[in-house]
Order: sequence, then structure tokens, then C-alpha cells
Amino acid sequence: MAAITDIYSERAQLRRPLAWSLGLHLAFTGFVVFYAVFINGFHGTGWGSGGGGDAMGATLVSAVPLPANPAQTTNVLATESKGLAKPEPAVQEKEPEAIPIPDKDTKTKVKPAPVKSATQRKPEPVPPESNQIPYGEGGPVSKPYSMSAGGATGGFEFPGGGGDFGTRYAWYVHVIQQKVSDNWLKYEVDPRITDAHRVFLIFDVMRDGHPTNVQVEQSSGVPSLDQSAVRALQRIDTFGPLPSDYSGTKISVEWWFDYSKK
Amino acid sequence: MKRFLYCFLPFILLASGAAQDWVRGGTGLGVERVRLAAADFKPASTDAKNAELLKTFNDVLWNDLDNAGIFDLVSKSFYPLQEPGQPSEVNFPAWSSPPPNSSMLAFGNLGIAAGKVTVQGWLYDVKNQASPQVLGKQYSDNATTDATRVIAHRFADEIIFRLGGGVPGIAETKIYFVSERTGHKEIWMMDYDGANQQQLTRLGSISLSPRISPDGSRLAFSSINKGGWEIMMYSFDLNRMVSFPRFGGMNLSPSWSPDGKIAFSSSRNGYPNIFAIDGSGGNAHRLTNDKGPDVSPTWNRKTASQIAFVSGRTGLPQIYTMESDGTNLQRLTDQGYAVSPNWSPNGQFLTLSWMRKYGPGEPGSNDIYLMDIASKQWVQLTHDSGRNDFPCWSPDGRHIIFQSHRSGSDQIWTMLADGTNVKQLTFKGGNTQPNWSWK
Repeated sequence: MAAITDIYSERAQLRRPLAWSLGLHLAFTGFVVFYAVFINGFHGTGWGSGGGGDAMGATLVSAVPLPANPAQTTNVLATESKGLAKPEPAVQEKEPEAIPIPDKDTKTKVKPAPVKSATQRKPEPVPPESNQIPYGEGGPVSKPYSMSAGGATGGFEFPGGGGDFGTRYAWYVHVIQQKVSDNWLKYEVDPRITDAHRVFLIFDVMRDGHPTNVQVEQSSGVPSLDQSAVRALQRIDTFGPLPSDYSGTKISVEWWFDYSKK
Repeated sequence: MKRFLYCFLPFILLASGAAQDWVRGGTGLGVERVRLAAADFKPASTDAKNAELLKTFNDVLWNDLDNAGIFDLVSKSFYPLQEPGQPSEVNFPAWSSPPPNSSMLAFGNLGIAAGKVTVQGWLYDVKNQASPQVLGKQYSDNATTDATRVIAHRFADEIIFRLGGGVPGIAETKIYFVSERTGHKEIWMMDYDGANQQQLTRLGSISLSPRISPDGSRLAFSSINKGGWEIMMYSFDLNRMVSFPRFGGMNLSPSWSPDGKIAFSSSRNGYPNIFAIDGSGGNAHRLTNDKGPDVSPTWNRKTASQIAFVSGRTGLPQIYTMESDGTNLQRLTDQGYAVSPNWSPNGQFLTLSWMRKYGPGEPGSNDIYLMDIASKQWVQLTHDSGRNDFPCWSPDGRHIIFQSHRSGSDQIWTMLADGTNVKQLTFKGGNTQPNWSWK
């Protein structure tokens, strides 16, 4: 019985603090409304009206006078084979409606082609040769050898902002590709996976050449594929010491693994 | 001063972060081999012996690069007429565009002065004219054919090490084998390419299963003497046989672990079982305990934590694996007649000699197979070429040496680990049971 009495007495003691709390909340809300309408509303300026403080104003211009590219690539095929690039398709005479915006993110997953219904009777398209990459997806040919050596898979890219290791030591990048490829056991991927997937890993290569900090940067959505890629890196003891005249202590690598059963 | 440092600390950190180089790329369908041109080195002196040593050097270098298995060597008929001997003489477009269309170029010069041969060698990425040099080396030694061969091997190994991803080349490795060309089965050794064959033992009996220690200082083998088959030891430090404990019974097929222990088959307790001892022959302990004969142990060369061996406990010999303490016994082969397992340097594969169809009415052939330990998937490496046995991995894991009867007699052959590029190394007498050095 004593316990029940205590509970009722506690409930009675809450009335006063609740009243105070309600009153203070109302007062604070009123202050905020008053400040917004009567004080800040008279001399405040909206975003984008410009001229405030030291901020730099940006205005839209019709064109930017960018310098022309001084190095004109001849794009001569480096091998006797037909190569991996297709000729540029004929330019169609058409007024552009808008400035095309290049894709910012190239890491989009490879999606399977939409399945056409059997009722559509269109002429069967001629399949592209297996060793060809559609125009614009194969990268330039006239690069240092290792940038085009893996041409069958798109080769390498060295986008700006990451130093010039890839261009100075292209042969080392080819070594990375060779060893990763040798140690990637595709049979570790779930055999039920038939469509194309791509997983991105990032890792560091230390001065003595051993890989470390292996992480999945972007999953393929197929756990066994992600795992097989990580295992490929774990199997590699070393890529060989970094070039002796390279001053850095390590390089960071972003590497994708394309899986397709075709 | 402190405040100054604090002000600039963010910028210093940013700068160090920007110094981090990023490399982006990917793997998909496979990788092309490096297309390498190896120009003949040019003479740097007019010494009469220069031409002879230069030919030796150029031949050995070419063969080493060709045997490496990681290059697409450009045929010399495609080379420009002007071959460089110095970096200043390299004509980049002539090498990087067709017909040679090479990615890499090895070149240099060789000269003799005061009885010394001096070699300067370079490796250039000829499609990267802005920063072409990958390697630059200079060697000097006595002006002899043997020394010139060693220099060529070393330069080839440097190239293979750089372009092969930090895996040391095998050009300076040795192969130990059994030869009966003197009338007795004795232990012999030779260079990896079959050159410099020389006899090691002269016991006048039968010596088998030579196995070189990981540090290359000792060679264990089994030999028959008055007491029966015993494990014997040859020291390369002393260049003679050294004493080793006798165990009694029949002791065969020693095998070194990467940390210097020895496993072997011994019937000292009745049935042939696998035993392990330390490198000096002490601390013998039994690992298997059954009636079936257990022979031919081989250690996991990467971890030293597992042993594969041959056992006839279920009838025909099959390959089994176990932990190095004898636990966790597993059978790898499921049929036929499987012998001579040898563990790959990366610990991932076993190579073995396997007659998959064995018995009356099943004319199977002894062939070399490769088995992935984890998945038990296998690949046949030799086909329709007589009896093939005793496969052994090279230290770089790219080659396999084996014994084959395809030429009409037992000889030592080598091939790449995918079964291609098969070459015969020995020709004289009968030569069997090859074992490749660890480095």
C-alpha cells in the first residue's frame, strides 16, 4: 500500500513544473516570432541578393574562353591488330538543343540490356566483335604502353588531382594490373551470377611494394564478387618495390574488378 | 613562432595529403604480356675476347628473358638497324612503333679492360619518352665465360624482378637431379637452363630424391648402403658428405620445410609412415600411424603448416594432406594412381603425377597435373607424351620441372606452370627426379 501512495504523491508534484515548462515554451516561441517579423525582417537580405561582405559574386556568362589543347594526338594505332577502338561515327547534322553535360560519375554499375519482348519483330542487330569497344569507351590509343596494354578492359585512367605517378611509372601500374589479374580467382564468385558486375577496391602500396589497407570502396552488390576481389589483394605479397626515384612513401590505388560470365 | 606554425599547420597537412599519388585502373578479361625488345649489347672495347663474351652475354640474356614466361619477346628481325649501346642512342619512335612495336627495351654495352669485363645495361619504357628509364645497372667481374653468364643472369633477373611484380627471377637458381650416366645413380646439379651440369656425389650405389635446403647450404637425399635406405646429407659449405643420424628401417624421400625441418618416410616402426625431424636430424616424431605405406611428403612452402604425401592406405596410392602435427587428414585425389606431390611456393597449388585411369583395360598415361588445394579443382598440364613424373616447382611459381620419357629415355624437362613452353634440359644418360632450389 505504501508504494501506491508514493506514486500518487509523485504525480501531484509534477503539476507545477509542467506549468512552468509550458509557459517558458510559449514565451520562447513568441520571442522567435517577434524577432523574425519585427527585428530581422526589416534589415535582413535574402540569399543570393549579392553584395554582402567580402563574398565573391558569381554571374552566368555565355562562354568561357578556354585555351585550346596544344597537344594534338594523332591517334595512330600502335599494333598491327585492328585494335580495340571503332572508327568515329559520322557526325549528324543536327542543331544541339542544349550543352551536353558529361557524366560526373563513371562508377555506375553495368546494367544488362533491357529484354525485348518476343512479339517485336525487328531485324536482328549485328553483334559487335568481341574484341572491340564501342566508340568513346575504349580510351585513347596513343598513350604510354601500360595505359593501353590492358585495352581489352578499358585500360587505365589517371584523372587529375592524384599526382603523376601513373604517367611517370606507367610500367608499375601495368605490374599492378598483371598481379591483380593473376591472383583474382573468378571461380570464387557465385556461379549463379550471370550478368555483369563491377566492384571498386581501394588500397595502398607501400614503399616495399606490399599492399595494405584493402577496402571495398563500392560494392558490386554481389558479396562473393566483393570477397573474391579482396582475396585477390590478400594473396599478393608484393607488387615489387616502388620505383627507386619515386620520392613518396606509398601510393594509393583505386581498382575495379569487372565480372562477366560472357 | 609557435603561432606561426599553428597558422600554417593546415596547409602543411594539406600539402602532405596532396603528395599522395593515386593510381586508378581495373581488371577484367585479362592482361597482355609486356612486349619486350632485347637489343644485342654493343661492344665497348676492341679486345679480341670481347666478341666471344658478348655473344655469350647476349645469348644468355635472351634465353633468360624468353624463359621467364612473362614477356612477349619481340623477334630480332623486327629491330631497327641502329641498336643502342647508350641511352643517348635510343631512337624512341623506331622501337615503340611497328614493326618492333615494343613497350620495353633492354640495351647496353659490354667491354673488357685489364682482364675485367664491364657491363652497362638499361631497361627503358620506350613509349614513355618523358620518363623512360626503369632500370640502369653496371656490373664488373673477371673476363671469363662463366662470370659473363652470371652477369647476364643477374641483369635478366633484375628485369624480371621489376616487371614481374617483385618476384625474383630464376636465372641464378639451380636444379638437382639423379643421373645414371656414370653407371650408378648419383646426385648431380645444373643451372636452371641445363648448363653447367656437374656431379655431386660419388657413392657408387643408388641415390634418390635429392632435396635442397631452403638456404641452399645442404642437400638431403636417400641412398642405400649396408644398413639399408638412409637419409644422407651433402654440405655445400664443405663440398662433401656430412654425417647424419641413422634411423633404421627404410628411410626415403626427405623434404625440407621453409623453416628448416625435414619430413621423410620411415619404416623404423614397422610400416612406412611419415616422420619429421629438425634440420640436424634430432627430435624425430611420427606424424602418420597406419599400415598403408605413406611416402613422398612435401611441405606447404608458404606456411610450413601442412604436409601433402602419398598413401596407399586405401589401395592405390592417393594424395593426402594433413597439418604439420599429423592432424586434419584429408584426401585430395579420388581415383587412379597419384604420386609425387609438390607444393607451390605460394601455397595455393599442388602439382602431382597422376594416372587417372588405372587398371586392366584402362590404358591411362602418367601425366603432370595441377590441383588447387582449396577447391580441389585440377588441370592437366601434359598430354599424350609418355610417362611424366616427379614434378617440382620453380621458386618463382611460374615454372615446373619434371621427368619425362617422351624422348625415348628418362630426361629432365621444364615448362611454364600452364603447361606451355616445354623444353628439354638434359640429353645424356638417364636423368630423373629433379628438384629446384628455393632461390
